[in-house]
Amino acid sequence: MNLPKLCSRLLPTVAPKLRHRRIQTTGHQLEGVAPELSFSEPNLVSVFRTSEEDPALHSETHLGQYYEIPPGHVQQLFPHGLPRRFQLQIKTFNEACVMVRPPSLELISCLKRADYSKPAQRYVLYGHCGTGKTMSLCHVLHYCYNQGWLILHVPNAHLWVKNCTDHVESSYNPSRYDQPKQAMEWLKNFKITNDHFLSKLKTTRRYVWTKREATEEGQPLGELVDQGLNRLKNSSDVVGALLRELKLQAAGGTFKLAVAVDGVNALWGKTVLRKMNREMCEPEELTLIYNLRKMMKNDWCGGAILTALSRTDALFKPLSAYRPSELLGEEGFDKMEPFVPLQTTSYNEKEFESCYLYYLDRNWLQHSHSLSEEGKKELVFLSNRNPSVLEQLCSFI
Amino acid sequence: MAASIYLPMLSSLHKINSHVNGIRGLISFSRNFSISQVAQNGGLRTKKGFRKWTPWKFEAVVPRTVKMAEDQDWTAVYPTAASFKPSAVPLPIRMGYPLKGGVSPDKQGNLELIKIPNFLHLTPAAIKKHCEALKPFLTEWPSALDSDEKCTEHFPIQVQTKDFVSSGASLRNPNARIVTMKVPLSSLNLDDHARKKIIKLAKERYCEETDTLTLVTDSCPLKQQNYDHAMYLLTVLYHESWKMEAWEEDKAREDMEEYEWQDSPSQRNVVELLERTKGTEERKKDLLSQPEVQEYKDAIVIMKNHGETEENLLRYKEAVKKLYNI
Repeated sequence: MNLPKLCSRLLPTVAPKLRHRRIQTTGHQLEGVAPELSFSEPNLVSVFRTSEEDPALHSETHLGQYYEIPPGHVQQLFPHGLPRRFQLQIKTFNEACVMVRPPSLELISCLKRADYSKPAQRYVLYGHCGTGKTMSLCHVLHYCYNQGWLILHVPNAHLWVKNCTDHVESSYNPSRYDQPKQAMEWLKNFKITNDHFLSKLKTTRRYVWTKREATEEGQPLGELVDQGLNRLKNSSDVVGALLRELKLQAAGGTFKLAVAVDGVNALWGKTVLRKMNREMCEPEELTLIYNLRKMMKNDWCGGAILTALSRTDALFKPLSAYRPSELLGEEGFDKMEPFVPLQTTSYNEKEFESCYLYYLDRNWLQHSHSLSEEGKKELVFLSNRNPSVLEQLCSFI
Repeated sequence: MAASIYLPMLSSLHKINSHVNGIRGLISFSRNFSISQVAQNGGLRTKKGFRKWTPWKFEAVVPRTVKMAEDQDWTAVYPTAASFKPSAVPLPIRMGYPLKGGVSPDKQGNLELIKIPNFLHLTPAAIKKHCEALKPFLTEWPSALDSDEKCTEHFPIQVQTKDFVSSGASLRNPNARIVTMKVPLSSLNLDDHARKKIIKLAKERYCEETDTLTLVTDSCPLKQQNYDHAMYLLTVLYHESWKMEAWEEDKAREDMEEYEWQDSPSQRNVVELLERTKGTEERKKDLLSQPEVQEYKDAIVIMKNHGETEENLLRYKEAVKKLYNI
């Protein structure tokens, strides 16, 4: 491939001009500048960047290239969904650029061809740590958002099985435990993402919260969500009611529902929360987990279930586990199948090249040695082309 | 005193010998030394008086290796196990940590070569002689058993024992009582249930790759007793595995050795999915006989029995995509 070599030769001469322009412009003006630049230096930018912003139009020609998610979409769609380091990167670079990679393209093509009158289809993204499961999921969610789907995004199911000290017995069902803070946090973010849907959809039955408070049938779902946000005690039950409503109404065909769960192996793993009698909680004894498990069943239609496994947060799992049956366990596997497994891998040569050029373009690689061929080989060797390791390495230089 | 060619090598050997062997060795080493002179006056007193003592003078002794013919009988040089003799082994061997000059020391006076065991007494020629000597005590190998497969077919049970020979206070060796018996299960008449049961009873004594059951018996003091015990164990295992106990009816899914797709949660999921997709007009049998379902079943069975690999997961993915009609 001669293009990268051409780029690296052009880079020292072109880079000063680019840097000057990019520092002056803000994020929004970049879009105006980018076409002009790509016209004058086609070899440089079109190798690692594409101006195609709609994931529905991404195809094999865009593989390995970065596309930008518009800032408005980022704020609305991903109030809590992006990995922490990527959020820092967005702040630093002033833009949210995601690489187009094969697993997400495959998933999007499956979603395009699927029949939504049939039961919801399940997809599971798996792979080694740091290979891009969460990022691929976010890419696919951007596609769903652009298509006008209702996004039900649980960014990390593991947050609901650990690091929670204030779980209380549920008032609805005494054998279960509520997690009011986590539920409220999630409801808040759900509202940000799907505000426009909440006024259109109505409840199908009456929900009684206390002697004096109730949500009537036919009220907009927004009221249900507000009930959860205002009353801490009822927030977990509100989440359960909301999930039930969405499941029933997705079959109607007015909207498509995307249930996206990252770290889905938490639903069938172990928890570290203690019950009142000092025993460990089972996952199904937590209201949030119980209701989310109901969503994972494919007894509803009009949407898709997109999930990603996560080893980093998994409790009591060996370090080398990354395959579906290893992380989901027997019970989880039985409940989730049949699912389409999609594997994410480390960068191949083209993708690595792309990432390297992107960091150079953003002036992220400050060390002079990183510009040389030897420096690049060092990066390849140290990171083994693993995306997250490469990102952490580059933040030092 | 005879004339002697004084070689510095010989003098060092001479010193070693004088420490190791004693005077008798000295006498046998030097051929030209006359015993009568020693017996008379220690060699020092002559008729006129005492002669000045001079060191012994020996003729240079030619090592045996020089006189060896190339077609000699080696079994005569080393008829039994003996330590390494540099003058008797005509090989230019060097052994040991390299000296300052850079090479290992040569064989003359090399303690390393003497310390290690050598098999110079067991050359092919020597072994042939042993075989010829043993032949009168042996019978012919049956001509019909000319390959390994025929041997295992007619004589499936293989018994291994060890005999120990050593010199010491006692001839007995307790390890000689151990008997190892190996049987391939394919040679036993077992049906499906009996085969699974015998494998469960034998636990780690059964090797799946080679399909052999290995019984090691050492609980009795004598080899004969251990052999009888092993035969008894085999008989008991065989007969017990054919019996069907009442409690075996309660065998659950967790006890199964292999994954069975029939009546598994996986089959239930697929049937539910297809029922919801196509409506409930079709019966369960028709749903299950579709090719996509068969492909899915194969993929799942392989994944559960042989573990998840990239290949298996890819196959599973294709099967599920077909099921979903993507």
